[in-house]
Amino acid sequence: MRPEKLSGIGFLFIALGLWEFAARKELVNPLLVPPLSRIVAVFWDLFSTGEMPLQIAVSMKRAALGYGLAGAVFISLGIVMGLSRPIHRALEVIVEMLRPVPPPVVIPVALLFFGLEDEMKVFVIFFSCAWPILLNTIDGVRRVDPVLLNTARTFRLRRLKTIWQVVLPAASPQIMTGLRVSLPIMLILVVISEMVGSTDGIGYFILDSQRRFRVAQMYAGMAALAILGYTLNQFFNLLHRRLLSWHWGMMRRNLE
Amino acid sequence: MLLLWELGGRAVTEYRLFLPSIIEVMGAGVQLLFSGDVARHFLVTLERFLTGYLIAAALGASLGVALGYFRLLHDLLGTVVELLRPMPSVAIIPVAILMLGIGDAMIVAVTVYASVWPILINTVDGVRHIEGALVDTGRTFGLNRRRILWQIILPAASPYIVTGLRIALSIALILVTTAEMVAGSKGLGFFILDQERSMNSSNMYAGVLIVAVLGYALNRLFVAIEARVMRWQHGMLNREAV
Repeated sequence: MRPEKLSGIGFLFIALGLWEFAARKELVNPLLVPPLSRIVAVFWDLFSTGEMPLQIAVSMKRAALGYGLAGAVFISLGIVMGLSRPIHRALEVIVEMLRPVPPPVVIPVALLFFGLEDEMKVFVIFFSCAWPILLNTIDGVRRVDPVLLNTARTFRLRRLKTIWQVVLPAASPQIMTGLRVSLPIMLILVVISEMVGSTDGIGYFILDSQRRFRVAQMYAGMAALAILGYTLNQFFNLLHRRLLSWHWGMMRRNLE
Repeated sequence: MLLLWELGGRAVTEYRLFLPSIIEVMGAGVQLLFSGDVARHFLVTLERFLTGYLIAAALGASLGVALGYFRLLHDLLGTVVELLRPMPSVAIIPVAILMLGIGDAMIVAVTVYASVWPILINTVDGVRHIEGALVDTGRTFGLNRRRILWQIILPAASPYIVTGLRIALSIALILVTTAEMVAGSKGLGFFILDQERSMNSSNMYAGVLIVAVLGYALNRLFVAIEARVMRWQHGMLNREAV
């Protein structure tokens, strides 16, 4: 391990040790900041009883639905808008009007239509992930080399085939960027929508623990959320490298 | 499209309660603006937003310069930063409620926490990307530490810092409205959720509209200020191109 990494971890342990010490000696209010060991114990309990995995699974189901739907709808819409000027002009105003709406503000609107159901959260996630995906896809499609498109036309490729075999692969690095940007947004909105209107899920779990003054449980929930965020990011990176390995390979060849 | 909304709304009257006509929303918006009711919520939100954002900017930039400049500090704190970063910032709201109650302090604190990250990380990045030669030149000319900081490091890192500030702008607005929804009795976030609960859908949409306009205006303002402040940089880039 590199020495700078080592000193970072060393510092982390010292900080955590100080936390444990301060909480035990009641230098800080142990009701607000319980000792680390208790949080770890509670964390372990929540996991072994299956409570935490259950809440995470509920949240992830909503997240996957909203994110997947946003990906499917807005990548297709982005390709259409990127290829056709008239459609782009027609829809641009609406996009520009909806984009500055901060996503949490959509929650009350979604509550009105869907109530406290899962659809509410799915819609909110769908809405908030929309813009990075849409704008990046449009951008990516616009930047497709015209030579590629002309070549496809020369070979009399049908339109659908052109999109599938030429446009989509050529725009995919940028589409991936959009998907990556909206990944943390997705997680944030899952948590917010569950805090504002839900009876389960990890966001609700954390807020509810606070309201019932189960402080250690609240911190344990936050830790689980951090781990979840980290895992999602790593998973996405892995997928990214897999799916776009041809792209990086090509870039390298171009450099040589 | 707006026309379609209006016509569709008129045709399907059973949804009237959920989706009032544009004219009703506009009417409600105008009425709210004049009654001063929304103005109060608006000012509360704006004040919280500005306080939080400015504190985050000062904190993020100074901490970022320190972390970018001093290797030791970066090595020590890097792991902690990496651990905290993947946690969605809104998860901090319950902790903030626990420690600070449900007043202004909580909302500002949450806003600061969330918007400090992009500023901090971009600043660290910016400071690290500065060419060593620049700082060395400064040293050769016998500049003291403070002048190196103000006249070399900050200007050279400023494009990165500005990027961080721009990202933080929308995050701060998200956090203010969220915190107001989760725990608040004032502010636009509270207002919108409250109107939804009392089934006042025109007022609710008017509130959403106001927040959207606020977000848009803040963004525009930022771009305008950026163009003015960073003009020297564009000038420099152009000169290099020539």
